[in-house]
Amino acid sequence: MKITVRRAYVFYAVILAFLAGTVILVVNIAMNGKTWVANPANRHLYSRSNDVVSAGPVVDIRGNILAETQGNKRVYNDDVVIRKAVLHVLGDTNGYISTGTQNLYSDSLSGYNFVDGIYTLKKHGVGPELVMNIDSEACRVAYEALGNFNGAVAVYNYKTGQLLCSVSKPTYDLVNKPDDIDTNPSYSGTYLDKVVSGLYTPGSIMKIITAACAIENIPDIYERTFDCNGEYVVTKGQRGVICNDDHGEGLTFEEAMNKSCNAVFAQIAIELGADKLKATADSMGFNSELYAREVRIKYSRFNPPANDKLELGWAGIGQSKTLVNPTHFLAIMGAIANGGDGYAPDRIYTMNGENTNKRGTEVMISIDPETARQLDYLLRSNIANEYGDSRFPNLEMCGKTGTAQITGATSHSWFVGYSQRDDLPLAVVCVAENAGSGMKTAVNVSNKVMQHFLNNPY
Amino acid sequence: MENEKKQPRFKQITVLFLITLFQLIGCACILLRQKDISAITIYTFLGYIAIEWIYMALGTIITGHDYFELEAIGFFLSGIGLTVCASFSDAYAYKQLFAIILGLITYLGVILLTKDVNLASKLRTPAAIGSVLILAANLALAQTINGTLNWIDLGFFSIQPSELVKVTFIFVGAVSLEKLLSQTSLTKYLIFCVGCVGALFLMRDFGTALIFFFTFILIAFMRSGDIRTIFFVCTGALMCAVLIFYFKDHVAARFEAYRHVWDYMDTTGYQQSRALIYIASGGVWGLGLGEGHVRDIYAASTDMVFALICEEFGLIMGVAIMLCFACIAFFAIHASKTAGSTFYTIAAVSAAGMMLFQLSLNVFGITDLLPLTGVTLPFVSRGGSSMICSWGLLAYIRMASAPFVPPEADPRPLPIRRRRAPRQPRQPMPAPPAPPSRRPMDRPDPSLNKRPPYVPPVERTGKGGGRR
Repeated sequence: MKITVRRAYVFYAVILAFLAGTVILVVNIAMNGKTWVANPANRHLYSRSNDVVSAGPVVDIRGNILAETQGNKRVYNDDVVIRKAVLHVLGDTNGYISTGTQNLYSDSLSGYNFVDGIYTLKKHGVGPELVMNIDSEACRVAYEALGNFNGAVAVYNYKTGQLLCSVSKPTYDLVNKPDDIDTNPSYSGTYLDKVVSGLYTPGSIMKIITAACAIENIPDIYERTFDCNGEYVVTKGQRGVICNDDHGEGLTFEEAMNKSCNAVFAQIAIELGADKLKATADSMGFNSELYAREVRIKYSRFNPPANDKLELGWAGIGQSKTLVNPTHFLAIMGAIANGGDGYAPDRIYTMNGENTNKRGTEVMISIDPETARQLDYLLRSNIANEYGDSRFPNLEMCGKTGTAQITGATSHSWFVGYSQRDDLPLAVVCVAENAGSGMKTAVNVSNKVMQHFLNNPY
Repeated sequence: MENEKKQPRFKQITVLFLITLFQLIGCACILLRQKDISAITIYTFLGYIAIEWIYMALGTIITGHDYFELEAIGFFLSGIGLTVCASFSDAYAYKQLFAIILGLITYLGVILLTKDVNLASKLRTPAAIGSVLILAANLALAQTINGTLNWIDLGFFSIQPSELVKVTFIFVGAVSLEKLLSQTSLTKYLIFCVGCVGALFLMRDFGTALIFFFTFILIAFMRSGDIRTIFFVCTGALMCAVLIFYFKDHVAARFEAYRHVWDYMDTTGYQQSRALIYIASGGVWGLGLGEGHVRDIYAASTDMVFALICEEFGLIMGVAIMLCFACIAFFAIHASKTAGSTFYTIAAVSAAGMMLFQLSLNVFGITDLLPLTGVTLPFVSRGGSSMICSWGLLAYIRMASAPFVPPEADPRPLPIRRRRAPRQPRQPMPAPPAPPSRRPMDRPDPSLNKRPPYVPPVERTGKGGGRR
């Protein structure tokens, strides 16, 4: 009898296990409830045809309605071009575009929180309004400026972190989704928001990173001069790093940057070595998971080979296996423009039915202020001395173009930059796929979008 | 002394009043949603509330005390189940009320039959044979009808025999091990266990088989320690091996969704994924009765009832249900300390264990913390057999806390005497003998139940005590 009673105490362990299970269950709900509720199988939020039946409206920063629920249907902006231009940043309700706002912030649009569940939505019949920082008109400008090229364009305010424009192509119309979207090769990658999920060979914009490393590691970099004869030979008898031109002898660091001289930058990269280059790149957010607020960014990859000097030279000028993400580079531009702290591009102005923006800013990329100041000087010098301010009238632009060579196809056209004007603290990134030289398409698109903001202050 | 006795009585009425209020609110919620107010709904609720009050009143009068925590929990849980049923349809409601009445009858029946341990011993063999026969009959019938279901359809009511056998399974186990039995007797018990679990294997009722297996382990553990341990371990291992061998393919196919419910959302993970979606949608306070979507899912009022309650009553009610069962389990351990005999100890702990295990399989099964096995939630799920089983199990726990005291003239060496002996040294002060006239007929001397005088009365009369 005594033994039996004592054994009964072991039963406490069973009860404890049970209670632990209960706690795990509740914690699980608290942590994952948001995701579960947003599942398209949830009939509180979605009809059987997977339309969002009661999510709140999505509005852009100028008050234009991008998406709202009328009756049991989700309806979108009347203008087909705007629908296409904002498709990726707005997203769909079926989760095809996983980084889209309607998917990523569906908990906010449904008014979900752990305590009330979706009761607010039940009570009002519709979820709270979400205001985006996006200016849909700017998206239209960027979309049209890209013309027939695919690619990504994004603009953000480096002082506040507001993401004002974000366009990815190829795109489609949510209202009339094409039937051949899964088979037609011209729609390949259309579910991908290339601004956050795209990875491209950077080409010469990578020289900004190499320059940063040189500034930090070669004290006499400005006193030195370099020679270019159209090719930087690493090993005698073998082909070296080809330059875009024969830039002659006696180039300063600044001139090499202005002219985007491959020979000089390959030489600098090899002198710096793979370890230092990688350390600088890593400190700027390469090779690590980055988030622009709630949006996960596909991380940029930079792993220069230590024992292959030629490959290292190519990596130093943005070729080789290096891949970068547009949002990541936008934040790097923000960091340079803002004197060190690059805020995370934030597409949300207000959500959860709040009237004012309480989100503040979040640093995504941080670089040394002195390095930032010197890079700022070099990037301004690029426009003033080489590209010409006439390409960016009234913008006081700083920036760098890139022409990323792709095997077997036309190069990608890049531009990254920002305006120094106090009343226009905007940074821009543009990549136009297979559009050739950065000086052509990317500079043109960037200028058009920036002019839009200059003429239409938000 | 007088204060001490009045304090719990007052509390008990308050508890019953609150439970009644809860059920009336539930009833009002259902009526407000009906287009034409249904008289049957009203009668069902009033009938149920009447049963609660009559039970408590009669119980208080007959026993002279009002320690009815267990029954209060049972009534509370059954009331939630009844409310859920009534929110579906009137037919569900009155059938569920009928099930609760059957459950109460079973409860009282089990108490009467187990009051006398000697009588219980005599009932062991018939109960064991009866159980195996029921399962065998079920196996034969179910195979001709459906092949996988373990239901016997009686027209108005369909019965799940395995539920009823749960009650006898514990009965047989506890009686068998109460006394030190001969090897042959023990062998008979093992054959019985293997027979029960085996029949469930053949019925492919994996969840119930698991419950039986767990309970078997628990009972075996409670009374192990010699050559028998080896027997039990061997049998347990054998059952495990058979279980794994027999269910290998079946389990693989059925449990593919376990921990991957979102990958099998529209097939084997359907119920679990919906349960998670809607439990989260309900939040802490729930969406309101009838406002949920779990009720559109298959088995919403039986296997899925926990998800339905979380969605419509709120997570807080779900957690409350879990805590209710934890209280029952604590009560069982506490009561087993002072139980009249080993029979009661084993029966109470294994009954509580069985309930807790079944609850875990149900709740954690639909929420994907455990594999889904399709068992019911005791007291709450719709269904007669489940309700009968739940109340039957509860009776064992009640018996451990209120052992039968035979007339003092009875010469047999009774369990209650064994109970008194070890208690003496634990009393810091000898209890003053109470006047014999005040002793209830069938209760132990109340003076024995007194706690040491230095403990404040309020604390002493708290819940969960078996030492009264």
